[in-house]
Amino acid sequence: MENLMAARLQMAFTLGFHIVVACFGVGMPVLMLFAEWRFLRTADSGWRMLAKRWSKAFAVLFAVGAVSGTVLSFELGLLWPEFMAVFGSVIGLPFTLEGFAFFLEAIFAGIYLYGWERLGPRAHLWSGVPVAIAGLASAFLVVTANAWMNAPTGFELASRKVVSASPWRAMFNPAALPQATHMVIAAYIVSGFTIASVYAGSRLRKGESTYRRRAMALGLGLAASFSPLQILAGDWSAQVVAKTQPVKLAAMEGQFRTQPAAPLRLGGWPDERARATRYALEIPGALSLLAYGDRAAVVRGLDEFSPEDTPPVAVVHVAFQVMVAIGSALFFLSVWAGVRALRLRDLPPSRLFLLAVLASGPLAVVSLEAGWVVTEVGRQPWIVQGVMKTSEAVAQARGIPWLLAVTLGIYAILAAGTIAVLRLLAREGAQEAGSAS
Amino acid sequence: MLPETLILLVVLASLVLYAVLAGADFGAGVWEFTTALQATERERSLLYGAIGPVWEANHVWLIFVLVLMASAFPAAFAAACSALWIPLLLALAGIVFRGVGYAFRSYAAGAVRQQALWGGVFALASTAAPFFLGASAGAIASGSLAVAESGRFEGDFVLGWLSPLSLFSAFFAVGICAYLAAVYLAREAYQASEHDLVARWRQRALSTGLWVGVLSVAGLAMVAMEAKPLWRGLALRGLPFMGCSLAAGIFSLWALWKMRFTAAAVGAPAAVAAVLLGWGAGQYPLIVPPALSVETARAPEAVLRAVLWVALGGMVLTIPSLAYLFYLFKIDRRKRPSHEIPYAGTAASPGLRR
Ligand code: HDD
Ligand code: HEM
Ligand code: HEM
Repeated sequence: MENLMAARLQMAFTLGFHIVVACFGVGMPVLMLFAEWRFLRTADSGWRMLAKRWSKAFAVLFAVGAVSGTVLSFELGLLWPEFMAVFGSVIGLPFTLEGFAFFLEAIFAGIYLYGWERLGPRAHLWSGVPVAIAGLASAFLVVTANAWMNAPTGFELASRKVVSASPWRAMFNPAALPQATHMVIAAYIVSGFTIASVYAGSRLRKGESTYRRRAMALGLGLAASFSPLQILAGDWSAQVVAKTQPVKLAAMEGQFRTQPAAPLRLGGWPDERARATRYALEIPGALSLLAYGDRAAVVRGLDEFSPEDTPPVAVVHVAFQVMVAIGSALFFLSVWAGVRALRLRDLPPSRLFLLAVLASGPLAVVSLEAGWVVTEVGRQPWIVQGVMKTSEAVAQARGIPWLLAVTLGIYAILAAGTIAVLRLLAREGAQEAGSAS
Repeated sequence: MLPETLILLVVLASLVLYAVLAGADFGAGVWEFTTALQATERERSLLYGAIGPVWEANHVWLIFVLVLMASAFPAAFAAACSALWIPLLLALAGIVFRGVGYAFRSYAAGAVRQQALWGGVFALASTAAPFFLGASAGAIASGSLAVAESGRFEGDFVLGWLSPLSLFSAFFAVGICAYLAAVYLAREAYQASEHDLVARWRQRALSTGLWVGVLSVAGLAMVAMEAKPLWRGLALRGLPFMGCSLAAGIFSLWALWKMRFTAAAVGAPAAVAAVLLGWGAGQYPLIVPPALSVETARAPEAVLRAVLWVALGGMVLTIPSLAYLFYLFKIDRRKRPSHEIPYAGTAASPGLRR
């Protein structure tokens, strides 16, 4: 394997790992603070137990998030020295701001996690609030840096050197707000559905208990309230992509020819040799409408761009379809959950409903990863859209394929350790909950 | 002063804080590593309990150094990453396993085998991380990295970082971490009135302190022979720092001897800080010698200004929060988070942490 391929896989793999763990860093604090707040309001110690249990799981995930994030900070320099040498300064601002978000998150996580007996109940609850805010801020900030790679603005280049830059304009590039919003919502969706899915599983296997019911309701509540918004945010992202990265849009939609009143394709398989997308369900004019707000608008096709500037179409199209399909499914699940919460409050949930919730966690993670494949693979062959090719950015060092192999091994250990420890915590929790109820 | 100089000062200050705070967290792991077979549960409990609330915050100083370097001196960051890619990766592996080793060990309470495994991982990784970070620092200080004027690394990717000074710095860094940890732990044991542990940590602190002192003199001699430009810079601007370091080091040993543990816990990090500041002063204005200086590596003016303002503004929020964290867990000893400390409250630890 050559350096470029190995470095890309390495980056994709380590980011794909970090992003899942990081989502919990954004979502879990909200859930545990909500449970703790309920405890303060109701004095029902079941809520406090829930908050404590989740705070332990959060502590483990936070540590894994911190180390896997550190890996990324090093990797940007180790794998992409050219990219960092030329553009490190332009995207430095969000990364510097993020440094402070990490500080606040780590400081208050220390206070919150070790302060249960050191602080008064109210002060303890408040000490968790900065954790939730800083988690949200760090997700937001890092994605503005990624958005800049998609829609680079705010700098001037002369013979491969940035001669002037306006860092705030770079940070608030046209893709920043939609992408960051979409990502933050994704983090809430992923952590909410995953938690709900864990407790749906134990309700199915071990039966009902107040503890499990509450825990599932909390996770589901968070995720379900955000999943309708996610569709709107996704649509916003797509409109910006249509403007800033027409090639990516064409790849996402499997649109080979330039055409007015382009159809929206659901599913299908883009055949790059025949230059057509087969087996898709087509909704006439819908793509033009969604992307440009006009049923008759012209959508540029892949054939308009030179082949060396287009991304692998099939990967991008399929990943996009997967994300949208799951996003829609999660939306319907959320509606179902909402109806249940309002109308059928007192009835025990059906097995089917629990099974659907059980599936929602893994599905949300899949759509998260699929979304990133759309963004990153869809940008290829550019590392900075239209400005720098990925192949120009890669490290020259020998042995990156070896590094990849070692990394896979290390992350396998990390994942196994995380799961083992979380299972220990869950078992301990089940015992406590059992003795309490 | 110019913004790039101010940012460089912020970087240096963050590096110092990383060394004296996170260094001690690594040092605790170094002790766990070197005393693996004799340590008692009570000793371990003191050691792990001391790190718990603070290690993640301490770790962020390193992230901060990285982002500031990448934003303000991108060419130097990229060059250092290329040239030092092996030691940095090894340090990174150490950092990763130290972190998860600690966290997994703390939360695997009850599963004895898993806990022992992760404790071992934590100890080994805590030693590896400062070793390779020290090696990287030494490689830069040696001034012999084959980095061209353009910022390209033209040396050997596997062995280019090795030099006598880089190897020396690796061991020196581990020694410093062990010394800091022993001093801080002696103080914590003293505050918790664990008299036998006080005696043990005091004795360890004294002996490592002497060793590190001897090593630092040897290090200066090595700089004089191996890194002539740095030596000249030191002679020009670094002497006051070297003097301070010596004085603070001797003071910390004296304080240990006299059982003045808080004084020792001020003197020891001051000595370490002075070494790093002296290095910075001696090397200025070079960042990755011999080729890359503040002038050649810096980012455009607008970026420097924005980053500087953000860095200063962020400190206004961060420093008080950090101070509160340390006040809560290192100074105010009234209540202890007993449920979070492994082993606390078991029969093996009567009277731990009132
Ligand atoms: C829980 C996860 C999740 C769900 C349910 C959805 N997405 Fe998404 N999507 C992401 C998680 C995500 C993501 C992983 O967070 C991405 C990657 C980059 C980004 O900013 O967000 C993303 C990217 C992304 C992009 C590319 C942005 C770019 O390249 O700049 C588009 C156009 C959409 N999404 C559109 C949608 C639509 C129309 C959805 C509705 C059904 C949808 N997403 C559901
Ligand atoms: C600030 C944020 C980010 C930066 C600076 C960044 C940078 C990069 C770089 C330099 C590459 C290699 C070049 C390439 O193949 O595209 C890459 C690839 C990739 N990144 Fe990102 N990335 C960011 C965010 C993310 C996130 C959060 C994910 C989510 C998992 C992600 C997923 C990927 C994937 C899947 C690839 C592989 C693309 C391919 O194989 O063609 N990226 N990214
Ligand atoms: C190139 C991309 C990225 C880099 C360089 C990066 C870097 C880091 C670093 C260094 C940390 C550790 C901070 C600490 O010690 O506390 C971290 C943690 C974190 N990162 Fe990332 N990150 C990247 C992508 C992302 C993305 C896309 C998100 C969005 C959700 C994200 C969210 C977080 C969060 C919430 C944490 C806190 C730790 C936790 O809660 O587990 N990161 N990241």
